[in-house]
Amino acid sequence: MTKVVEISPTTRLEGHSKLTLKVDDQGIVERGDWLSITPVRGIEKLAIGKTMEQVPKIASRVCGICPIAHTLASTEAMEASIGCEIPTDAKLLRIILHAANRIHSHALHNILILPDFYIPGTEKKFNLFANEQPARSVMARIVRIREIAQTIAAIAGGEAIHPSNPRIGGMYHNVSPRAKQKMADLAKECLVLVHEQMEFMLDVIRNMQNREFVEVGGKQIPLPKKLGYHNQGVMATAPMYGSSSLDDNPTWDFTRWKETRPWDWYMGEVTIDLEDPSYPIGGTTKVGTKANPQMESCTGVPTYDGQPVEVGPRARLATFKNFDEKGTFAQHIARQMEYPDCCYTILNCLDNLNTSGKVLADHIPQGDGSMGWAANEAPRGSNIHLARVKDGKVRWYDMLVPTTWNFPTCSRALTGAPWQIAEMVVRAYDPCVSCATHMIVVNEKEKIVAQKLMQW
Amino acid sequence: MESLYSEIVVAGCGNPLFADDGFGPAVVEKLKDLELPENVTVVDAGLGGPHFVFTLLNPESTKTLIIVDIADFGGEPGELRWLSVDELPVGSYRDAHSWDLTEPLQYIKDDIRVRVLACQKKYVSSPEMVIGITDEVQRAIPDAVSEILKEIGVNYGTA
Repeated sequence: MTKVVEISPTTRLEGHSKLTLKVDDQGIVERGDWLSITPVRGIEKLAIGKTMEQVPKIASRVCGICPIAHTLASTEAMEASIGCEIPTDAKLLRIILHAANRIHSHALHNILILPDFYIPGTEKKFNLFANEQPARSVMARIVRIREIAQTIAAIAGGEAIHPSNPRIGGMYHNVSPRAKQKMADLAKECLVLVHEQMEFMLDVIRNMQNREFVEVGGKQIPLPKKLGYHNQGVMATAPMYGSSSLDDNPTWDFTRWKETRPWDWYMGEVTIDLEDPSYPIGGTTKVGTKANPQMESCTGVPTYDGQPVEVGPRARLATFKNFDEKGTFAQHIARQMEYPDCCYTILNCLDNLNTSGKVLADHIPQGDGSMGWAANEAPRGSNIHLARVKDGKVRWYDMLVPTTWNFPTCSRALTGAPWQIAEMVVRAYDPCVSCATHMIVVNEKEKIVAQKLMQW
Repeated sequence: MESLYSEIVVAGCGNPLFADDGFGPAVVEKLKDLELPENVTVVDAGLGGPHFVFTLLNPESTKTLIIVDIADFGGEPGELRWLSVDELPVGSYRDAHSWDLTEPLQYIKDDIRVRVLACQKKYVSSPEMVIGITDEVQRAIPDAVSEILKEIGVNYGTA
């Protein structure tokens, strides 16, 4: 008999989300809904009427984790709308900034997932904050990788967290030859560390894949071989940086994207009739509580060719590098495999960077209201910003951030997993829930959503 | 770009989309307009303090961390107060991963001098987005800048 269990909030990810799960007698998920419960903030509306220079600054604040990805995607969406090509050296600095962002974000994600995993060859779960080895040296390595990547980001982007150097038309400043050398030295040191980290993580992940059970809340939970499998497609715009509507051959198609209402996608009202007080942390939702994912979800459901798609490292590797593994562990593996590429990208860009080259376009048009979009491959996947700029002012703005794409796909991928490890499936997407939260305005027939629901 | 892994790190925390919460980044912006000594790094930490700032502190070279943020210590809106780590309530600073800032600050306070410049908030709009700091808190920005300059030993002859 189907029962409903709810995990709310989910933990060790960014922002607030929850899982409403219909499970069978064995506790296996028959249908899972993963939804954002971070309040809707209406960032796109706030952008309207602001100058094209202001909006990237605003966009960078939607989340504390990926200001770099949002600054770059937003800036380039403005440039795409006004038709402004930027100098090569400015682009190189942006790619360096972007790759550094991916390194420190992936390293952060290692911290978030490792407590789910076992130290290879032992029955001991990882506690990165323990003093014993290997936890201590792994944590020290992760911290150093993050320190290096943030420092490279600070040099190329002007600041480590909210990059101040990118601007419409290019960058404010080029870097000095000394700064270029410093970035190269750091990237070389980082390359050694990320190789070690990648190999370590691959061991840990493969070790987990070979396990039959995982312990959650003091119970042994079977670990399915096809954990996190789904039949949806993948979407990626580039292996490393991204694409925009200014490209000769853009790798994302605006016309293939549609946004559906959450109440056409998620399950309706259900009553929780299964609870487990021993589930970490603090147990699941109490029996008798009502849940209504259709009404509670704070994101729209974006589709590509009419279907939800997966974005992120596995999608990038599947699209561009013939990576053919599927599921939760494949996502983890793909993420680790991206580490060295980021360092090589930084080193290649530095090789080509002319520190005397100009970094600002000669002419910055003010825009005629044309639609422009820019996608960058943020650590979590395709981060697409769309804008219409006229006379220097933003007339329309939208953000299709990675986790928005992944919410419905991951919901499908929950089917077949024991409910106690549903959070492991979610975490593999490296969710960034806060910036994924935005209000949709049209349904699949381009109609405005019901007024009653807008008021809610 | 200031020198890498400098002796003094000033981190302005907060989100300008939530009214007075933009105080920290606003102070950072003012500081960036000034010529600061080579040994000072000023960082707009946004919302990511707990997981971003600590990797910018090098125990071998960083001696002081100055955090600039709003707080609610029951003062008049715009009132400034220097707080020590021990005065921060547990759980008062959390980043988007629900990571607590207070506890790691306790860990580093013996190796790195931690000073928190808190400004009494008047209005924080979260979760609604409102751009703009209230007048009272806005007026505290120049004072916060001079407090920090004093703290880092810079005197432009205006004090």
